[in-house]
Amino acid sequence: MNETSYSRKRVAPIIASVVGALMVAFLWVLVTAEPNTTDDADSPLLGQPAPSVVTTTLNEEEFVLANRKGSWVIFNFFNSTCVPCIAEHPELVAFNGRELQATNPAEIYTVINDDNDASVRAFFSKNGGDWPKVRDSDGAISVAFGVAKVPETWVIDPNGFVRLRIAGMLTPGLLDEQLAQLKTQFGS
Amino acid sequence: MKTKSVQNKWSWLLVVLSAVALLAFGSTRDSGPRTQADRIDAITKVLACPTCSGESVYVSRASGAESIRAEVARQIAGGQRSDDEIIAYIEARFGSRVLLVPRSTGLDSLIWVLPVFVLVCAVGTLGFAFRRWKVVGSDSISDEDAQLVERALREDR
Amino acid sequence: MFFASGINGALGRAFLLVGIIGSLFGAIAAITSARQRDQAVAKLIPRFAVLVFAASFGAFAVMERAMITRDFSLEYVQKVGSYSTPAVYNFAAVWSALEGSILMWVLILAGYTLGVTYWLRKKMDDVLSRYALGVMFIVSLFFFLLSFGPANPFAVGPEGVLDGPGPNPLLQNHLLVMFHPPLLYLGYVGMTVPFAFAIAALITGRLGEGWLLATRRWTLFAWGFLTIGIILGSWWSYEVLGWSGVWAWDPVENASLLPWITATAYIHSVLVQERRGMLRVWNLSLLVATFSLTILGTFLTRSGVVNSVHAFSQSAIGPWLLAFFAVIVVVSVGLIGWRGDRLHSPGSIDSPLSREGAFLANNVLFAVFAFVVLLGTVFPLVVEALQSRTIVVGEPFFDQLTIPIGITMLTIMTIAPVLPWRKASQELLSKRLFWPAWCGVLALAGSVWVGATGLAPLLTFGLGGFAAGSALRQVVLATRRQGLRGLVGRANGGMIVHLGVIIIAVALAASNSFTHSQELNLEAGKVATFSGHTFELVDVVEVKTDNATAVKALVKIDGGKAYAPAITKYVLQGMNVGTPSVKTGLAYDIYLTLEPPVRQDENKARIKVFIKPLLLWLWIGGGLMALGTVLAAFPGRRRRNPTSPTSEDDFAADLLVGQ
Repeated sequence: MNETSYSRKRVAPIIASVVGALMVAFLWVLVTAEPNTTDDADSPLLGQPAPSVVTTTLNEEEFVLANRKGSWVIFNFFNSTCVPCIAEHPELVAFNGRELQATNPAEIYTVINDDNDASVRAFFSKNGGDWPKVRDSDGAISVAFGVAKVPETWVIDPNGFVRLRIAGMLTPGLLDEQLAQLKTQFGS
Repeated sequence: MKTKSVQNKWSWLLVVLSAVALLAFGSTRDSGPRTQADRIDAITKVLACPTCSGESVYVSRASGAESIRAEVARQIAGGQRSDDEIIAYIEARFGSRVLLVPRSTGLDSLIWVLPVFVLVCAVGTLGFAFRRWKVVGSDSISDEDAQLVERALREDR
Repeated sequence: MFFASGINGALGRAFLLVGIIGSLFGAIAAITSARQRDQAVAKLIPRFAVLVFAASFGAFAVMERAMITRDFSLEYVQKVGSYSTPAVYNFAAVWSALEGSILMWVLILAGYTLGVTYWLRKKMDDVLSRYALGVMFIVSLFFFLLSFGPANPFAVGPEGVLDGPGPNPLLQNHLLVMFHPPLLYLGYVGMTVPFAFAIAALITGRLGEGWLLATRRWTLFAWGFLTIGIILGSWWSYEVLGWSGVWAWDPVENASLLPWITATAYIHSVLVQERRGMLRVWNLSLLVATFSLTILGTFLTRSGVVNSVHAFSQSAIGPWLLAFFAVIVVVSVGLIGWRGDRLHSPGSIDSPLSREGAFLANNVLFAVFAFVVLLGTVFPLVVEALQSRTIVVGEPFFDQLTIPIGITMLTIMTIAPVLPWRKASQELLSKRLFWPAWCGVLALAGSVWVGATGLAPLLTFGLGGFAAGSALRQVVLATRRQGLRGLVGRANGGMIVHLGVIIIAVALAASNSFTHSQELNLEAGKVATFSGHTFELVDVVEVKTDNATAVKALVKIDGGKAYAPAITKYVLQGMNVGTPSVKTGLAYDIYLTLEPPVRQDENKARIKVFIKPLLLWLWIGGGLMALGTVLAAFPGRRRRNPTSPTSEDDFAADLLVGQ
């Protein structure tokens, strides 16, 4: 048997094994791949000073985020047609009720995302929620916070630093719990 | 025939020179001032829509993408930031999920390296195969086959 | 009514069950009759093929009936059916989501199985035919099981549902939804046929050239429909999605492109196998890869691991498809490894500068192209699996890598049509390429003259002109020699397909590089201008239909016809869909979209105008590709005995015919 035919007989199984090994690795990756879920609560803004927000409320008052220093501020990005927003609304109302009774209450603000004034007013008059709703007509506030999908809830500390981002619907008690944790961590 | 081949050589030279000249002229000339719309398009083509999957902000009609497009348009109209600075601003807000082109560092660089590697391997295999075919061709008969033929001829006699 | 509504679900599942049994026993009959050379059992194969087709047709007909009669007892109809959907879109709603698509796959596969059985009716004595049909029955069985089990369209939904939301609004917007999915599937599913023959050839060890030629038309048929399907998909994207582009490197688009790339590589390299008896392993691998990629693509897009704007649903079929993919790969690679000794071919390629060399080069490029597309699609998965973070791989990555590959392929297309087999001399090439080269220079000059800039587009235009010259040269010579018959046959039809590809490449380069857009704020009565055209808002109207309310802006372009870009609100889905309006032209399209928010009462509208150069030529090129495929399917001038593994030297023959 001369050399060329001997080496030829070895080539096919070698290539087949290489291809096989690559396939196994590829299949392992696919098997362990999970269907894409929503993004995690990470944000490059955590621990940074909050973006500047200057806008008007639905009551035609001026709203400047910087002026709210000294209190914990909750931003809830909201849209009246978004199903999880509607679902979490009662929890927000309850949270607001609890805060109003506490010392040094956190201030809730709804940031209107891609919605019109009339629908928002109608929603709140029907479902309650007596806190200021701020306009974001050109989407600048949403972009400044990196919010693309509602609902999102952001917590800003009394010094104006972003401390927490909750993406998705608020479950009962979640916001109270997180806020309490932040208060012990960063001082009320 | 010599004149014809000389003629051909000069004609081909003309072809090559005209092509190169046209290419050089065309690819280096100014394509006119970049409008603001062009800048918006260029930037939004490299930003990923954060609620879609892999679509660029340029392509997507989702509301998240629209807001980013509006912000980019605002910053370009403001005239103070360069394209890269605007992209950095958006990335600072949304995180790396908004970058459409993988970075060239770490694991991500593999996506640029692997295709080049595969190309090199493929061309190398082809070159190797051509050389082997030349060897086979020049031998024309392998020793094994030559012995077979000899044996058969001997038996035939 | 109640009795009738229960029937659809039961009847549908009964048909699917018959299909499962039919394909199972068909596979058993085919394989045992092949192994034991049993003639009697072999006679059963056509009957099972008919049974399987009847079952799949019945199931699909029942599904359509349920959809048309709005039978809301079925969960699938609850998901995509609605009384307010117009009849045409309701018919197409059957394939608007996963379960119905799998049902359509089952139907088309059964149709192909029946077709192949009929085509093999006189060759059923051949063991290879029986194995091939066995493979097709096994694949049919898998898809019937999918449709019976995890992707069940006949599942009974909760009671008391009286109406549904209808299909995704994006699928109710344009009639192309009637054509694009079925035509694409005709191509996609059709790749099962050459795969079945490849496996059968490996099992029987009959790896000579005969079966390749015999299945050539099946492969071409599937490839042609896949091409048309992909082009119609691009057209749909253009007319419906509103970003004025045709291709976004979306995972579903990539999933349909990957088998197209490997199938195109196969169409070229199989010619080398026919002429020189070489590249057998490579060709078999290409056929296996093509079919595997159809399964892998379906897995990637339907399992939810890679999200996409096309991924209308996610379901439990992921593991099944992945397992099937693994089985296919293991079996095929195993068979190729086992038969490796028989696959060694005796020939060699004398010179890289020959038609064989050109085909090899283009195959290398196709392989890299396929690798790049696959890598870009699955890379986010890999990164997520290894480092648990999300990255996005989008258009810029694909463009940066595929544009150089495309330009290189265009370069090969300039000389490949004139390259003779075996080897080429410099004089021959310089003589044959002279006028095509001048075509290229002319095209380049023309593009520079109209204002094109940028190295990549200019290279595309110049090389495109050059390649078109080479292809046209072949066609002109052939028609001069044989009249109209010179247009048919593999080589000539292939040249027309090449012309189509060149036109598409040029049109893509033009529309991707030189699109200009501008947002215009229009007021009724006032005229805005952009890029040499005037735009006048005539009116903003609201049009209500059963399923949607559309706000349309009537815009007159250059004082002529009014075009109506719209924003349509589909009330049942709560979704707003932008509908563009396009004024086509030979030189460029004017593409209008309506931007929110629309102030109807004030008669103002903000529109975006896109000028898209040469976009119409994408569809013209696509049509030319389809025409060329049909022409290539006809038998052309027979040059030599097609089953002989070596060829005559066409070098001398071509010289004699006077080029």
